[in-house]
Amino acid sequence: MDILTGNELISGGTVYLDAAGAWVEDLQAARLFGKDETEARDAALAASKASGRILSLEFEEVEMTEAGIVPRRLRERIRAKGPTAPLTLRGIPYDRQHLDEDGHVSI
Amino acid sequence: MYRYDEFDAAFVAGRTAQFADQVKRRLSGELSEDQFRPLRLMNGLYLQLHAYMLRIAVPYGTMRSQQLRKLAHIARTYDRGYGHFTTRQNIQFNWPKLKDIPDILAELASVEMHAIQTSGNCIRNVTTDQFAGAAADEIIDPRPVGEIIRQWSSIHPEFSYLPRKFKIAITGSPHDRAAIRFHDIGLQAAANAAGGVGWEVWIGGGLGRTPMIGKLINSFVPHEHLLSYLEAIMRVYNRYGRRDNKYKARIKILVHEEGLETVKGQVEAEFSEIRGGVLTLPQEELDRITAYFAPPDFIDRGAAKIDVAFESIRDPAYGRWLDNNIHSHRQPGYASVTISLKPIGGAPGDATDAQMDAVADLAERYSFDELRVTHEQNLVLPHVAIDDLRTVYDGLVEAGLAEGNTGLITDMICCPGLDFCALANARSIPIAQEISKKFAAPERQKAIGELKIKISGCINACGHHHVGHIGILGVEKKGGELYQITLGGDATETASVGKILGPGFEADAVPEAIERLVDAYIERREDEGETFIDAVRRLGEAPFKEALYGAG
Repeated sequence: MDILTGNELISGGTVYLDAAGAWVEDLQAARLFGKDETEARDAALAASKASGRILSLEFEEVEMTEAGIVPRRLRERIRAKGPTAPLTLRGIPYDRQHLDEDGHVSI
Repeated sequence: MYRYDEFDAAFVAGRTAQFADQVKRRLSGELSEDQFRPLRLMNGLYLQLHAYMLRIAVPYGTMRSQQLRKLAHIARTYDRGYGHFTTRQNIQFNWPKLKDIPDILAELASVEMHAIQTSGNCIRNVTTDQFAGAAADEIIDPRPVGEIIRQWSSIHPEFSYLPRKFKIAITGSPHDRAAIRFHDIGLQAAANAAGGVGWEVWIGGGLGRTPMIGKLINSFVPHEHLLSYLEAIMRVYNRYGRRDNKYKARIKILVHEEGLETVKGQVEAEFSEIRGGVLTLPQEELDRITAYFAPPDFIDRGAAKIDVAFESIRDPAYGRWLDNNIHSHRQPGYASVTISLKPIGGAPGDATDAQMDAVADLAERYSFDELRVTHEQNLVLPHVAIDDLRTVYDGLVEAGLAEGNTGLITDMICCPGLDFCALANARSIPIAQEISKKFAAPERQKAIGELKIKISGCINACGHHHVGHIGILGVEKKGGELYQITLGGDATETASVGKILGPGFEADAVPEAIERLVDAYIERREDEGETFIDAVRRLGEAPFKEALYGAG
């Protein structure tokens, strides 16, 4: 199974296409695409590109586990949660980028 | 320090306004991402894993307090309250938003800074010795020539679409603190038989997937012909550099494939055509630029001394700082101070807005308003009176910047790695943090002595792993991270490229592997005066390989 992910134009934040056609921050809300859903994948990709608001669009392979959707690639797991370095200058973990009010996009 | 003239100011203001308009058109949908991407890259704006990243140029790593305060303000106002100083003496912000970029660039322009040519296939920010104009061992201050190269290379119409990016480093000292042999062009001050000072020109050095040590193409180019000679090199590279393969497009590959003598012949032919022409540097222009870098008004303090042994007994942490973070100054009574951005367990090269403000205040009060960024991701107060060292140290303690570890095992170069970078294959910051914690004890660091660890999260080698005494390269293997360890690299005038010792290690095994290498060195060194790299050169890799992988 795959999800469609990208970065939102204004914030650059990581986003996922959900089942309602909205681009959201939450990986667990991502729409799952079967490998054979060619038409739906092409349509989602085309509509997302046409919006001009989502960059670096990619389908990413995921697994469904007890914990929910888990991307296969480490890179994608880091994109979903934010930087992993355990200690920052302020002694708190890095947070991921969040969307502003003007960062919500639908197709 | 150099101040913008009307041409610089108009150029930066023009570009800032132009990019503000481009951002506006991108946000309105008038420009597509395909159209906008090359424009944003020309202005230092990347898209990384989690957000945009803005890379700001710090020409030859030199700033005044006002500029660092502005960076602190930008960190506080538009980013997340910190910045990351890089191996190219620049600063990067990891979390800016596209809509804020025009305001950030306008803020930068107000203090004579910008982000132009910090990306793209052009001549990038010129880097130099962080102790330029201060070091006791210096032949000539390289910053005036660095500034002239900056002016020549800024939006040079012929060299804005090179086969690949192009990096120039320059040093005025025989002790190379700017890694000039690992740049596309390295310049080192040299004297000729007549006693004149000019430049050795090294060409074709670089790191990345094909590390190469630069080759000496000309042992003496006088100041007046330097720009012509550089232009001749650039023209040869622009003409013959490969554009068919991104991985073979750097000048190091051209020099390697064609041979130094062939390239030298081409450069000399081009040089003979343009020598004495419009790029000839008049002495009065060199003098005019040099005047900007005149030494500050040092006070004659005599040969002030500090009793480090005594201070170490009174305050061991201060003693360590004096031992490691102070560099000899050419002016008696003064010293250069390295401010470590490598706190134990921290992310190498990061500084908060408050820390930047604190350093700016110290620079203003105690270093003639000047500070530097080092390619080893630290900051420097270049001109501090020895009598002021304790006060400066106390200020750094207050700011959380008083780690006395410069040049020691915890003073690592480290790229952002897979925690931030879209190109990375593996994380690097957590590796640096764990190594730092493992070797945190000051006594142990002192016992180990000078040891440079450099960590990259991919083969592009932004963390300079090839030239680490111990290098660590993160690679992807079967969906996970693996770390190769190299030994024997050296970025200085005794340049060498480290060799991979054997199979890679999982992340959690890396600190212990480093410890085994360190222990092997301690056991086998002739005495405490033999540094790690000297021991590696004397002993060869065998005992270190055995320490990692066992006999066999």
